[in-house]
Amino acid sequence: MALFIFRGFCANAIILIPKNGAFLHKIRPKRSQFEVQARRSGSTEARPAQKSSQMATRERQQQQLQGFEAIIGIETHVQLQTSTKAFCRCPYSYGSDPNTTICPVCMGLPGTLPVLNSRVVEFAVKLGLALNCEISMKSKFDRKQYFYPDLPKGYQISQFDIPIAKGGFLDVDLPVEFGGGHKKFGITRVHMEEDAGKLVHSDTGSFSQVDLNRAGVPLLEIVSEPDMRNGIEAAEYASELQRVVRYVGVSNGNMQEGSLRCDVNVSVRPGGQQEFGTKVEIKNMNSFSAMNKAIDYEINRQILLHKQGQANQIVQETRLWDDATQKTFTMRKKEGLADYRYFPEPDLPEVVLTDEYVDQIRKSLPELPEAKRRRYENMGLTMQDVLFLANDDDVCDYFDSCIQNGAEAKLAANWIMGDIAAYLKNEKVSIKEIKLTPKELAELISSIKNGTISGKIGKEILNELICKGGTVQGLILEKDLVQIVDPAAIEALVDGVIAENPKQLEQYRSGRTKLQGFFAGQVMKKSKGKANPVLLTKILQEKLNAGN
Amino acid sequence: MISCGLLPRLRLAASPLKPGLLPTSKRSSYSHRPRCAAALESPDVARLADAARISLSPQEVEQFGPKIRQVVDWFGQLQAVDLESIEPSLRASTEAVSSPREDTPETFDNREAIIEAIPSYDDPYIKVPRVLNKD
Ligand SMILES: [Zn+2]
Repeated sequence: MALFIFRGFCANAIILIPKNGAFLHKIRPKRSQFEVQARRSGSTEARPAQKSSQMATRERQQQQLQGFEAIIGIETHVQLQTSTKAFCRCPYSYGSDPNTTICPVCMGLPGTLPVLNSRVVEFAVKLGLALNCEISMKSKFDRKQYFYPDLPKGYQISQFDIPIAKGGFLDVDLPVEFGGGHKKFGITRVHMEEDAGKLVHSDTGSFSQVDLNRAGVPLLEIVSEPDMRNGIEAAEYASELQRVVRYVGVSNGNMQEGSLRCDVNVSVRPGGQQEFGTKVEIKNMNSFSAMNKAIDYEINRQILLHKQGQANQIVQETRLWDDATQKTFTMRKKEGLADYRYFPEPDLPEVVLTDEYVDQIRKSLPELPEAKRRRYENMGLTMQDVLFLANDDDVCDYFDSCIQNGAEAKLAANWIMGDIAAYLKNEKVSIKEIKLTPKELAELISSIKNGTISGKIGKEILNELICKGGTVQGLILEKDLVQIVDPAAIEALVDGVIAENPKQLEQYRSGRTKLQGFFAGQVMKKSKGKANPVLLTKILQEKLNAGN
Repeated sequence: MISCGLLPRLRLAASPLKPGLLPTSKRSSYSHRPRCAAALESPDVARLADAARISLSPQEVEQFGPKIRQVVDWFGQLQAVDLESIEPSLRASTEAVSSPREDTPETFDNREAIIEAIPSYDDPYIKVPRVLNKD
């Protein structure tokens, strides 16, 4: 038997003896260079305009709880985007024909031996660090026994008493429309394990169908502390976790495909009570909004039972969320504690990491969502802007690149969140796919700011830049779009329009001053939209009122 | 009870440490003094059979009881070893493998043989009895 040493693939016997007998070295990712010291304790300040709605939301939540407190913990399974399965070389890709990516190892045939994919350890350490966890420099695999046809070996290779990472936390900014605020949710542990196959139950027949493509695909299970108190907090925890796995590139985090699955434990207790209420597990939520709704439904269901004196009706069970009826219903009652009879996996060596290996991974970590949000907040952006931009690392890269090219933060944010976001939504493309480069967006912003072109023209050429690319300078020259800022030129245009519309001029001068808009429109049209609007208004007013 | 001569062999079998890996001071501090003599409960064979999804006749339950008890007692002997001054080991062996597997895919080339060996195959699925309860 042997053990793996993760230190850039070079063995050194010295590391085999743990320092001071301690297996856990406290290693945390370095704070981002962008992060400021002025981290607020507690919640983000609410902007005055949002304060009333924020308080209203909180009050509503309090009222709904009616003196009860809900406790929510979440277990999340994240499928890793490795090229091969955890313990065999089979490739895995979602949607392959059933039972095509299988081999004797993942089929659990007798006489086969698992061999650990090094990438799984790398990804586990990556996510562990990103979640501010302590990394176990030595960990091991264990067998979790259960009998179910999606698990060909009769046991799942998992980690039991020594997970690869533990004791971390996740920072979350709650959405402004739900009252806002900053929260820190504890991460109990992160461990490596393998996925099971897929079981399809025929509606009528007495048999089920098994597809073992997914059997043996590497997962990380992330267990949270029971720190969430309502559906929104739980949904935001999960969506922050999704951002983190995507930022660090360990998973696509796709909920619909099952690459990110959340099992939620909900219990309710009367305010002031120390011990937890009976916890109920909810599964089958394939979106964050379904999570939010399922949890709030479950909290209300339990509170109602408490109030009706039927708290004993709350039993340890697994309930499924049904999107169609917007309710949870019993899947199975749990009778006693499941006995998985864990024992150390004898076919796999222990996993030993070196400081050097962990350091290397820590250095490779990108700026994480929380650090991005704090950095954007310090640029003076509103929390709404911050949450929008930091939601997607591709959008962040685009925005950051605009800033590096000299664009003003607020203006760049406005363009990205406005016209560009609308385009992405309509065309269902990612920001990486559009032809408008961040450099050209910065150029567009400065061309408007310095008066070369009007904002209106800017909006007009944006679409062309997005679809066809090219440069702002090129388009301005090609289409002769330079804004007319010469007062004499604008005066000539105004004179022309007034001369062509004697009737309207007469009406204006006899009191219908609203006609100024008509004249302005005509001048703008004549200038092909290029007249500087401020100068135009000023000169037009002078001319129109000159006859009085 | 335990024969004293068995202990050193048990120790070796459980942890074939390479000579020189641990400081000799630590290796020489083994003690053969039994530490805890906690009485082990008799195995509940019926429960074990249920957990392992095995059907046993009452006669078999009676036969297996003492056998399982023997195995458990054998492990019980290990508890008598004083490991107070021994560095904990997660695994029996500490031999190093310097290069774990790279993440490069390889398609198993004899899928037909696997499929053929499946007792009940309903192309493209494996057919199993309908099982709804996981626990
Ligand atoms: Zn395989």
